[in-house]
Amino acid sequence: MDIGWYLAVSALVFCTGAGGVLVRRNPLVILLCLELMLNAANLALVAFARMHGSGDGQIFALIVMVVAACEVTIGLGVIVAIHRRRLPVDVDELRELRG
Amino acid sequence: MTPEAPHIDWAGLSPIVALTAGGIVVLAAGLFRGAWLRRYGVPLLTLLTLGATAGLSIWQWGEDKAIVSRALAVDDLAMFLNLLFCAGAIAAVVLALRDSSPEESGHGEWHALLISSVLGMTVLASAQNLVVVFLGFELLSIPLYVMCATNLRRSKSLESGLKYLIVGSVGSATLLYGLAMIYGATGATGFEQIATALSSQAGLIDDPLTLTGIGLIVVGFCFKVSAAPFHQWTPDVYEGAPTPVTAFMAVATKAAAFGAFVRLFDVALIDAATNWSPLLAAVAVASIVVGNVGALTQTSLKRLLAWSSIAQAGYMLAAVVVADREGVEALAFYLAVYLVMNLAAFAVIVARERETPFGDDIRSLAGLGASRPALAWPMTLAMLSLAGIPATAGFIGKFTLIGATVDGGYTWLGVAIVVGSMLSLYYYLRVVAAMWLSDVPVPAAREPVPAIAGGSPELDAAADPEDGAGQDAGPDRPVSQAEATAVAVLFGAATLFFGILPSPLFDLARDAGSALGLL
Repeated sequence: MDIGWYLAVSALVFCTGAGGVLVRRNPLVILLCLELMLNAANLALVAFARMHGSGDGQIFALIVMVVAACEVTIGLGVIVAIHRRRLPVDVDELRELRG
Repeated sequence: MTPEAPHIDWAGLSPIVALTAGGIVVLAAGLFRGAWLRRYGVPLLTLLTLGATAGLSIWQWGEDKAIVSRALAVDDLAMFLNLLFCAGAIAAVVLALRDSSPEESGHGEWHALLISSVLGMTVLASAQNLVVVFLGFELLSIPLYVMCATNLRRSKSLESGLKYLIVGSVGSATLLYGLAMIYGATGATGFEQIATALSSQAGLIDDPLTLTGIGLIVVGFCFKVSAAPFHQWTPDVYEGAPTPVTAFMAVATKAAAFGAFVRLFDVALIDAATNWSPLLAAVAVASIVVGNVGALTQTSLKRLLAWSSIAQAGYMLAAVVVADREGVEALAFYLAVYLVMNLAAFAVIVARERETPFGDDIRSLAGLGASRPALAWPMTLAMLSLAGIPATAGFIGKFTLIGATVDGGYTWLGVAIVVGSMLSLYYYLRVVAAMWLSDVPVPAAREPVPAIAGGSPELDAAADPEDGAGQDAGPDRPVSQAEATAVAVLFGAATLFFGILPSPLFDLARDAGSALGLL
């Protein structure tokens, strides 16, 4: 199959993730969308690794998975801490700090 | 047949090994029950680790080698940046000695996170491979997300941690997608192989994959160095984070991100410079304008410094655009100067946050010239230096930056830096005027809500008697802030020293600049 299809799916997933981060308000859903963005990159990396016939991209993807897990863990930790302070778990309501 | 073990260059790896070992020891030391050990032993061990890392980096000075199958470069640029990270982290540890954030989140954890963030910066500064760039970025960012949120009882701190996490992760994901595109276009992850592929294969520079990759990488990096138009998180995160963390984040993250920036763009992607230099130049000018205009109306000192850091990121981006040896030299010099002047300013903010009930509002500085000259002078020098007034280090830094842009054929970027500096005089001098020209304000009885405690004051006062005492302290009440004052005076003096005698620092920056082998 042509690599273009894999890239198209990957780009679609990336855009879904980026759009979700922009419009969703629940931090948990935002974390999910961040995962989508990272996994879109993983798909592209693995597809490119197959295209070039080298293992570099697959190793890269494995490392990204580890990092993504760390990021989600930290994100959930912060959300739990916010929940304990009984702050609203809604990013639009978190506006004590105004840009 | 036994497999041959790969050769490991322990000497080149030594700063990384020292930080890893130190982080583990500090985390374990934080588990002991003795209050003294946690309060003073852990910071002491952290300082030892950072000092050892700085010493090992000095020991490796002058080396020029690639280790770990050419994924990490041990050269003068990496070692120079290592020294900056260690200086920033040491200042943060000293400023946090009496801060409530290590107290609330656990001393061992707080300091171990700081060390792992420095570890990430060290990795990033010597990254020679796309995988290592991503890994370094995440290793420095993830501990910082947590550190921003370590004032667990203050909602602003938690909010800034979550905001930084979301925005930083979007930046990382965008960067990663860009790195994947570059890998797809060139089929290599090592910087040298990417450069070879771009220079040898015809048409690769204008390949859609390469162009998309470069665009996404620029966006990702702009998130990390807080350049416009991806800067909106900066003021919020700087204001909400505990001030020692803000100080560290402001100076060290910037140095690490620019180190990776210059290595990736001026080494790996140098042949595609015709494609990325207009983009980066536009981002630089946008940052200079947005940062300086945004700072004009700020009344919170941390927000003011955040906006000013956006403008300073624009100045430094100009040096990346130039992409020659002189540009890298100017960038290295400016990063060191930026560290010195910002740490002086943040040390004064830390001291005043504890002494006055105004938090980091500009009112906390009123009348400082008369009441606390030991704090007023460093702040004055830092502000004048950030504005680029002669006889301060900031002037020499801007001078070399402008010189590099003019010699590199980007005179109009030099002009943008000059115009931005003129604009910035307004808000920097407002801070100076508040210190020397206004009287000490009398705080209203119940109105003040100090940033250091916020949230639920009763809880905080019960949990941390020191902060409770700081809350009621009037502006005239003598509160000893010896260590913050010492940091302020030290870096204030350094600002003046490098403004009058820049040659020692300039020699180091010249060594660092020639490490990349550019013309």
